[in-house]
Amino acid sequence: MSFSERAHDLLGRLVRASAFERFLISTSALLLSVFIGALIILGAGRMTDCASAAYTIAVPGKFVTTTLPGLVPGVVKSVLPGGLWPSQAVFAMGFCYDPFAVYDLLFLGALGDVLNNPLNSQFATTIAETTILMFTGVAVAVAFRADIFNIGVQGQLVVGALTTGVVLTYVAPPLAGLGVLATIVLLPLGLLLGGVAGGAYAAVPGALKAYADANEVITTIMLNFVATSIALFLVSREKYFKDPESFANQTVNLPDVALFPSWLFRARDDVSLLAFAFAVVVLVGIWYLLQHTPFGYDLRTSGLQPDAAEYGGVDADRTIVSSMTLSGALAGIGGAVYVLMVLGNFQTGVPDYGFDGITVSILAGNNPLGVGLAAFLFGVLKSGSIVVQVGSDVPPTLVGVLRGLIILFVAMPEFFRMIGQKFGSFGRPGEPVATDGGSGGGSDE
Amino acid sequence: MSNFDRREFIKATAGIGAVGLAGMAGCTGGPSDGDGTETTTEESTETTEDSEGTTTAESDVTNVGMVYATGGLGDGSFNDQAQSGIQQAAEDFNVDFNESQPDSVSQFSDYQQQYAGSTDPNYDLVSCIGFLQADSLTETAANYPEQNFQIVDSTVDEPNVGSYVFREHEGSYLVGVLAAHLTSMSFSAGAGSTQSDSTNVGFVGGRESSLIQKFEAGFKAGVKATNDDIDIQTSYVGSFNDTTAGQEAALSMYNSGSDIVFHAAGNTGTGVFQAAQDEGRFAIGVDRDQSVTKDSYANVILASMVKRVDTAVYNAVEATVNGNFQGGETTTLGLDDDGVACVYGQQLGSEIPEDVKTAVSDARQSIMDGETSVPQDPSNVN
Repeated sequence: MSFSERAHDLLGRLVRASAFERFLISTSALLLSVFIGALIILGAGRMTDCASAAYTIAVPGKFVTTTLPGLVPGVVKSVLPGGLWPSQAVFAMGFCYDPFAVYDLLFLGALGDVLNNPLNSQFATTIAETTILMFTGVAVAVAFRADIFNIGVQGQLVVGALTTGVVLTYVAPPLAGLGVLATIVLLPLGLLLGGVAGGAYAAVPGALKAYADANEVITTIMLNFVATSIALFLVSREKYFKDPESFANQTVNLPDVALFPSWLFRARDDVSLLAFAFAVVVLVGIWYLLQHTPFGYDLRTSGLQPDAAEYGGVDADRTIVSSMTLSGALAGIGGAVYVLMVLGNFQTGVPDYGFDGITVSILAGNNPLGVGLAAFLFGVLKSGSIVVQVGSDVPPTLVGVLRGLIILFVAMPEFFRMIGQKFGSFGRPGEPVATDGGSGGGSDE
Repeated sequence: MSNFDRREFIKATAGIGAVGLAGMAGCTGGPSDGDGTETTTEESTETTEDSEGTTTAESDVTNVGMVYATGGLGDGSFNDQAQSGIQQAAEDFNVDFNESQPDSVSQFSDYQQQYAGSTDPNYDLVSCIGFLQADSLTETAANYPEQNFQIVDSTVDEPNVGSYVFREHEGSYLVGVLAAHLTSMSFSAGAGSTQSDSTNVGFVGGRESSLIQKFEAGFKAGVKATNDDIDIQTSYVGSFNDTTAGQEAALSMYNSGSDIVFHAAGNTGTGVFQAAQDEGRFAIGVDRDQSVTKDSYANVILASMVKRVDTAVYNAVEATVNGNFQGGETTTLGLDDDGVACVYGQQLGSEIPEDVKTAVSDARQSIMDGETSVPQDPSNVN
């Protein structure tokens, strides 16, 4: 069998993999990336100078040379009398960084002391990151399912966050005295503003694609720059929306009643279980929308087989615009959550949630429910790398490498599966290719 | 000193080791205590050599946590300057430090809390670099009243926070005076020259903000105070890390007659230097002596408006070591304590005419004596 045939066969097996098999593949990819990352940590640990070794590889190890004789001196003597027992390592090499400690901090550090205190601040950071990535992830996923590559989620998130932050600075203060009632009005209003603004901003490249045949990858990328620059322009000038009290380019702080209530968590942790619950509801809602409604059916079929969908009566142009709008609205709501939960105002320099969302979506196989898990993995990595930076001497760039490795390894099988699904014909042997896009129907899992 | 021996030793012994690890050891440092490298040959040179480093009493080590600004290390100006401050302090005192580089504003609070809440080690000082950290530090400092914090470039009004700010406008005023004098005469040195018939200078800023506007205001005031007829071109490129944009902005200034361009734009300024070399004109650096940090452009860098972030960090650490760190106070570093200064370029400094230098030092004296007041807002420059 030639190489290309074997590759084709492999890709076919990947495309036909069941949900359980895919889970196993992802898990083993995760373990493999940790193993390779550990080798890199060891290598980097030899390339720096430090006073004492954080980790030592010795043959035979400490257990044989020190622990065992200490525990049962008699046995050791009787088994190997005459000083034959190795009292010192034959080979030993020290490393500046301890890979076990690094991964311990990266994964468990992100959870903090979750068993004793599930409300600790590091876990709060993880939840906050997860919440926002759930929105951007599902935004990308919706567009992907309609076969649209929405790279503009970052821009839509910025526009949503900006709109929420700016409008609420005018609406919220007069209502601040109303207490809980104000929150009930302002929170949905803020989210709605973000959603509408993000959706409108995404509808533009959607319409350009549908009616002018413009490539959405290019238009959405460029609109990201437009969004960031407009935001900078508006919040860096006091005559527009800049907070005159602050050096930073930001809007005036919103009153607390306009923000997500912190409930169980402490206010300083910038997280809200309400926002997290809302994100979960949105994911389930989008899943339902895609799987069980006529709109979702139109969207999915035009993603799988545009020609067949159109033949079946789907208005392709309208579907493109509406799925882009939906995707942008979700991103915009993510931006609103970022403002209302994390910052409390709008500030330039929004983190790359939109671009991370692309990876989250690929990781989740574009399944809205999977987005939740993928976003959590991302949240853990983001929050954990903060713990690693503070708690160890490992340089931040190395932590970035480890994070990237994990994501690359876990996402690649899904990525190849999607490519295979799109370009290959890998029906199960003996199974006819269905008119709704062949074996691509498997992606509904 | 015996560091070299140790490396040789590792090289020699690595061959016995596992194949995969041998390659790594060959090119490297690695831990310098005996633990890692002992072999059957039972050489023990390196164990004795390092014991001095590790046996000093752990208890009086001062631990400092550094939270850098979002530009991160390697920016050749602001963060690197702060890092050289902590490195100097670590050399002079018994100080251990841990560094972290947040990549967005929303992470500041988390990093600050991580250091403040840490018990192993217990940080004696958390040093927050950059004005963007002020908002989150206001909240964090109130939540950790026992923890000492330092903030550079902004003020936080909490009893446990020492604030360090600079009078950048004063230093910028001096380089403005320098530029105004040189553009009015025929001056050539290194790779650049000015034309006496054109009296025109430029300012390239990074991202527009009140902080960078202090540089602009001081520069303009210095130029105008020297000669009211000089034209000043101003451009903000919108980024601290876009050398191409910096180069384009500066090129258009040079092409429309500017002799000297002052930049306050971090790494964007590298493009300004590039443009100065292309056009055979001059530039003025910022934050550090850039004729040293960007020495390939030393033949066009007249001077640098140095901002001693390292002094701020060093002073705070020193105070912490000596047990007299003063929270709740704002230290303003200006010309008088060399917090900001006009430092002449390594290569061109000696060629600047003496009377110009005298004018600059007169201006410096006049500001320190309070005779000249320098505006902080460009719109206040007439």
